[in-house]
Amino acid sequence: MKHILEGIRVLDITQFLAGPAATRMLVEMGAEVIKVEFPGGDPSRLFPYLKDGRSAYYVQQNRGKKAICLDPKSPEGLEILKSLIAKCDIFVENFAPGAVTRLGLGYDAVKAINPNIIMCSISAFGQTGPLSSLPGFDFIGQAYAGVTSMIGEPGKTPVLPQLALGDIGTGVHAATAIGFALFHRERGHGGQHVEVSLLDSYFHHHDANVQVWSLSKGAIKPTRTGSHSYATAPLGIFQGKEIPILLMPLLNMWPKFCRVIGRPDLIDDPRFNESGKRGQNRNDLIPIVEGWLQAQESDEEAIRILEENRLPVAPILSVEQACQHPHLIERETVRWIEDRALGRFLAPGMPLRFSAFPGHLDLVAPFLGEHNSAVLSEYLGYSKERIAALHARGILASEPIPAHAAAQ
Amino acid sequence: MKHILDGYRVLDITQFLAGPAATRIMAEMGAEVIKIEFPGGDPSRRLPYLKDGRSGYYVQQNRGKKAVCLDPKSPEGLEILKALIAKCDVFIENFAPGAIGRMGLGWDVVRAINPNIVMCSISAFGQTGPLSHLSGFDNIGQAYAGVTGMIGDADKAPAFAMLALGDIGTGVHAAAAIGYALLHRERGHGGQYIDVSLLDSYFHHHESNVQAWSISEGAVKPNRAGAHHYSVAPGGNFRGKEMWIVVLPILNMWPRFCEVIGRPDLIVNPKFIDNTNRAINQAELVPIIEGWLQAQESDAEAIRILEENRIPVAPILSVEQACRHPHLIERETVRWIEDRALGRLQVPGMPLRFSAFPGHLDLVAPFLGEHNAAVLGEYLGYSNERIAALQARGVLASEPIPAQAAAAE
Repeated sequence: MKHILEGIRVLDITQFLAGPAATRMLVEMGAEVIKVEFPGGDPSRLFPYLKDGRSAYYVQQNRGKKAICLDPKSPEGLEILKSLIAKCDIFVENFAPGAVTRLGLGYDAVKAINPNIIMCSISAFGQTGPLSSLPGFDFIGQAYAGVTSMIGEPGKTPVLPQLALGDIGTGVHAATAIGFALFHRERGHGGQHVEVSLLDSYFHHHDANVQVWSLSKGAIKPTRTGSHSYATAPLGIFQGKEIPILLMPLLNMWPKFCRVIGRPDLIDDPRFNESGKRGQNRNDLIPIVEGWLQAQESDEEAIRILEENRLPVAPILSVEQACQHPHLIERETVRWIEDRALGRFLAPGMPLRFSAFPGHLDLVAPFLGEHNSAVLSEYLGYSKERIAALHARGILASEPIPAHAAAQ
Repeated sequence: MKHILDGYRVLDITQFLAGPAATRIMAEMGAEVIKIEFPGGDPSRRLPYLKDGRSGYYVQQNRGKKAVCLDPKSPEGLEILKALIAKCDVFIENFAPGAIGRMGLGWDVVRAINPNIVMCSISAFGQTGPLSHLSGFDNIGQAYAGVTGMIGDADKAPAFAMLALGDIGTGVHAAAAIGYALLHRERGHGGQYIDVSLLDSYFHHHESNVQAWSISEGAVKPNRAGAHHYSVAPGGNFRGKEMWIVVLPILNMWPRFCEVIGRPDLIVNPKFIDNTNRAINQAELVPIIEGWLQAQESDAEAIRILEENRIPVAPILSVEQACRHPHLIERETVRWIEDRALGRLQVPGMPLRFSAFPGHLDLVAPFLGEHNAAVLGEYLGYSNERIAALQARGVLASEPIPAQAAAAE
């Protein structure tokens, strides 16, 4: 057995990021994922980094999938999709709510074809509610979830995290829901429709802000406070000798921290002798902490001293530094993948580690329409002539596979 | 059947956030979660908001769990844990790597007691590797994952994201892994061990930065870039008339956006002719876009115009505004829960929506040690006398349940 989802077939008509990330995780666990693209292909094929027209962005999310490209608005294209629904265990889509129904593939139609299938819909705002009809991307959901407002300097324009915290997170939420729905089906309870949204997923991450606002009856209005937490201190990003350093000696670590930085007098200082007071008086505390950091021999030495005393500390690494860190390399948190066109490059590794399947599967990203013939003939019994005719009429499409890639 | 995990038992010795979030998701799906706390309780019982000693932070993550408080260093406490491992389907812990082995509950021991169990360890850096021994919380993993470095103004200290993007995310990763391991077990392949870390989970979110740096052979050095995206433009947070607004008129939406803001000349301007050029010259685009936004009658009107033209746009809501937004309320993205001590409060709702189970289960957060007697009596057959003796010797502990809470039941 190659992995947990061996023998599970997924029909994937998602594009961009959240959907493809969910099915990427399924493929890493051995599922057979049939990625359906529409003419022109998944728009993420145009996202950087691009080399000779091949997108590493696309490759990272779509390794191991079988790619077919068809026109869903043609009767023949729709028939292919319906026939594949009959043969699959999971059907994932991330169009704007209603779009898949207009295509003729709403859950009612899908269930009628295959009552045992698990359909997963991923959207920005969810399938219902006043915002559901709006188009959305990662940062749109982030803004409506009250997340963006919590990142940046107070009174200034919030900053934009330069990575897809929401889309990948939503993909993980979707993969989670699909896993438990599969488990439910395995126990004999049939298929169902699972729904995940960017907004729900982002909002899910509020550990403190929502309950604090609610329980204080609005007296506490959570807002962004720059590089430091509003709730307690020291908790934030401090300027070291050369690099910014994150420090969080919380709760019962405070007295130890004071001793380590040679300021035992601060332990009982009335400005700092409680967690909440340290938060309120953080502007008095920050220069003290930064003074100690900058007085050390080096940032490494400051970090070493704090680590030795089991005080949570971290250098703020750039992406470049993280990718070169021995810990991330050893664990394949960052790992090499190989593409037939792009060659070898680094991407984040599979974050779920199962003792029963310690290795990686060998997964290769497809070219547009690469598996049109294989999928239609093997799964649906289409003849070569019929496939060729669909190609000729533009119902199926594909891109040429570059010679050096085909040679492999 | 009340939900997907009906009849499944989870032994949960996690604390703070990532572990409790994972088991919260399972409790929402009907699992019976036995939360073990050590004397003094989960430290998150002291995190704000606090009212009469009860923590909203703890309540949010621990609803629906049965709470047992015991001393794991006593032989009797350890015996109870081992006896519960024999009776559970899932065992989850989030101590620093090695701690669970020193406690006598490493995977080898656990597997010997119950070969069919799914064990999940959650840690900051993972069970192996040079950093694995370090203590870590959310923002520590974030810093090492190269995520913090991507948030803030380029020439200033990074901004501190004021919510638990990593811990909750890691909890969801753990729940996903447990779900698939349970499926695997259900198909007759037995239990296994899962290693989930904050660092892996955070790093997983790099959709562009890692590959762009790698394929460009270091020519592209991803860095934080303030309020706007460094490689896809225009896209970011703009100042409107009164509030901040995120606008993402990217790729094929750009020409339409130019028409909408009355600047069709920008479409053919060589400085903005494609995404690459717009990214390079985006500093010139920001004042143009902010000028248009601020010239509209109101922020709501600017947003309406962009929405009408299917340009992705959103007001940047405060937490307070998000909690009051009709969409979030209607869908219970923000929902009311009830605690026996705190009363009614709002928290984020369950983000996984299953058509087979559309409602919420009625889940109540426990007091420390509240279910000592119930769990030991029902699952392990301990007599009342034996439980009382363990309580008297401090092997078991509990906090008093406030009178108004006891009356609320």
